Amino acid sequence: MNKLVSVLVWPAIAVIGAFSFAALALGRGESVNAVWLVTAALSVYLIAYRFYSKFIAEKVLQVDPSRPTPAVRHNDGLDYVPTNKWVLYGHHFAAIAGAGPLVGPVLAAQMGFLPGTLWILAGVVTAGAVQDFIVLFVSVRRDGKSLGEMIKMELGPIPGSLALVGVLAIMIIILAVLALVVVKALTASPWGLFTIFATIPIALLMGCYMRFMRPGRVGEASAFGVVLLLLSIMMGRAVAESPTWAPLFTLTGEQLAWALIIYGAIAASLPVWLMLAPRDYLSTFLKIGTIVALAIGIYYVAPKLAMPATTRFLDGTGPVFSGKLFPFLFITIACGAVSGFHALISSGTTPKMIENESHMRLIGFGGMLAESFVAVMALTAACVLDPGIYFAMNAPAAVIGSTAANAAQVISSWGFTITPDMITQTAKDIGETSILSRAGGAPTLAVGMAQILGQALGGKSMEAFWYHFAILFEALFILTAVDAGTRVGRFMIQDMLGHVYKPLGNTEYLPANILATGLCVGLWGYFLYQGVVDPLGGINTLWQLFGVGNQMLAGIALLLCTSVLVKMKRERYVWVTLVPTAWLLITTLTAGVQKIFDPDPKIGFLSLARKFSDAAAQGTVLAPAKSIAEMQRVAFNNYLDAVVCAFFVVLVVAMCIFAVKICLKALKQAYPTAHEIPPLAGAPGAPA
Amino acid sequence: MSAAPAEGDTSVGLRERARHLCSACRQVFGMPDYERYLAHAAQRHPGAPVLARGDYFAQAIERKYGKGGMRCC
Repeated sequence: MNKLVSVLVWPAIAVIGAFSFAALALGRGESVNAVWLVTAALSVYLIAYRFYSKFIAEKVLQVDPSRPTPAVRHNDGLDYVPTNKWVLYGHHFAAIAGAGPLVGPVLAAQMGFLPGTLWILAGVVTAGAVQDFIVLFVSVRRDGKSLGEMIKMELGPIPGSLALVGVLAIMIIILAVLALVVVKALTASPWGLFTIFATIPIALLMGCYMRFMRPGRVGEASAFGVVLLLLSIMMGRAVAESPTWAPLFTLTGEQLAWALIIYGAIAASLPVWLMLAPRDYLSTFLKIGTIVALAIGIYYVAPKLAMPATTRFLDGTGPVFSGKLFPFLFITIACGAVSGFHALISSGTTPKMIENESHMRLIGFGGMLAESFVAVMALTAACVLDPGIYFAMNAPAAVIGSTAANAAQVISSWGFTITPDMITQTAKDIGETSILSRAGGAPTLAVGMAQILGQALGGKSMEAFWYHFAILFEALFILTAVDAGTRVGRFMIQDMLGHVYKPLGNTEYLPANILATGLCVGLWGYFLYQGVVDPLGGINTLWQLFGVGNQMLAGIALLLCTSVLVKMKRERYVWVTLVPTAWLLITTLTAGVQKIFDPDPKIGFLSLARKFSDAAAQGTVLAPAKSIAEMQRVAFNNYLDAVVCAFFVVLVVAMCIFAVKICLKALKQAYPTAHEIPPLAGAPGAPA
Repeated sequence: MSAAPAEGDTSVGLRERARHLCSACRQVFGMPDYERYLAHAAQRHPGAPVLARGDYFAQAIERKYGKGGMRCC
């Protein structure tokens, strides 16, 4: 029976997928329905899961269902908990899905819907899902050890320490870029800012309720929390329309940046039950709820893709980010195709909850496919928008000016016809005063979602509600990430400081805590502020820096996976990780080197820095800077960005050398040399 | 969620299912699951004293978030 189903179902999925791709490919010149795009993606996922992940599980990794997992061996009811595979799938997905898959594809949409889609699909199947799955496997076989510890075990102590410094650097950039997304979305938006601000008292109320009023009653607190959240969106409209309240919640980018920096420092110092935990619950509800709603919405509304398959910006002159398709598409879309950060989750809590080795395929490989699907939906939502609106929202003010008339003229000259009225009407529909130059992905996605969900539920009059709902959903989990990430950063910094001066490493020592928190917030706050005042929009610089860092981390994780396969004497199958490793190294090293050295100041950090410092030396002020001091600041910031980028490049090259050495050594050995926990290290049921 | 089982009632099966569903949701959302902790304690350490709901909750939250918790981009 099963065999029959298999024989019938898989060819059917293959045919549906082929048909969807044909619709995408043959529909040139006319707008294609978004349903084809989403269906093509789903077919690719199903087939990749059924065949490729099975091959990896059975042949490459040879997972062993009879081998006790860390959760079974150490079952302590706290960290090590054998968990139902579907429950853990949901848990793992909620942990890996963040703002990344929503932002990158939206930015990449400037090149059309096709390049982004193809990279997301090819990337996830050959690189992203493979990385998540194999890192999970490697960690499960090592008692749920973290990425840094595993690199130390398998590649040596120096690569281990290098990787930790790399992770900290990437985290600082991530926190800055995520905070920048929030700033871009909330600048001069009283409705948005009020709703986000309201999440603070709501979370505090929930925290106190769960702690003091009804201890441990998480469900009750969450229920009223969600109701209050929805009420706050509705109240936001009244605030935005009130002449007394609206000015209080209308902040400039700089003010918002300072507000976020202060918020980050305070939030990361509060007890976790007070704000972090309750807000994380709210954020997870909204995240899963919104993603499901968006998927249903796309199929129900079946919108047409307004963006062409490819645009003229393949040549690298795009206003959203500069640089050619190769290599910049591959670092702009990180999460959704392949994300190094997942290696930290796949070697974090998830491996300690795996009940049986046979579940890893669904959770590791399948979990990443789900995240990739989120990226495809984000791309769809951006491409459903009129391209003129898309560029109005994503091009920096330095390019399109700050009035609807000016923007419409510039964008129309690119061949995307739009009138000033369409721009102002869109802003009015979503209850905002302006939509111009709101780069960063969140607002664009929110407008796309508002149009899709508005058509499904409530019509035009509900668009403003859905827009602010989408902004809330993104800002909520970004703020949670800022809070949690600052704490992680603090512990990492304290750990490093402890090597220099012992008392600073003591996590119970308040002055050391304050110092490390201040350092962490100061570091990401610096990059955030620099991004906010950057006349070219900030996202152009920071997102690419993040992309390079994140893909470098993926490269490092895949180098670890490759070394482990070689050390297990599975070199026959080493291409499974070697091919994506090589591709990631090629794209990110090319992008990294171009970002540093390219002679075009729009791309290269050094040439832009030189342009500004040379002009400053001659006493000329280059637009959009307004003074010599500002010119010098632009120059300094670009030198700094070049240094950070160079650090990532050097780091990954060093890791590559270490990995090659280890692999060559392992190849000469006649027996496996990987450091796995032996299968019978602890029988099931043995005391932890 | 801690409804007393009504004996001999056909709704027991239904309640049991609802309880499992709630527990699954709590785990997906990463919330502390007190009932699960009690079950674990009863199975692994029978007779040993167990934490009160509030104390278990406080401990679980601290374990999960105390070090910040790596979060994805």
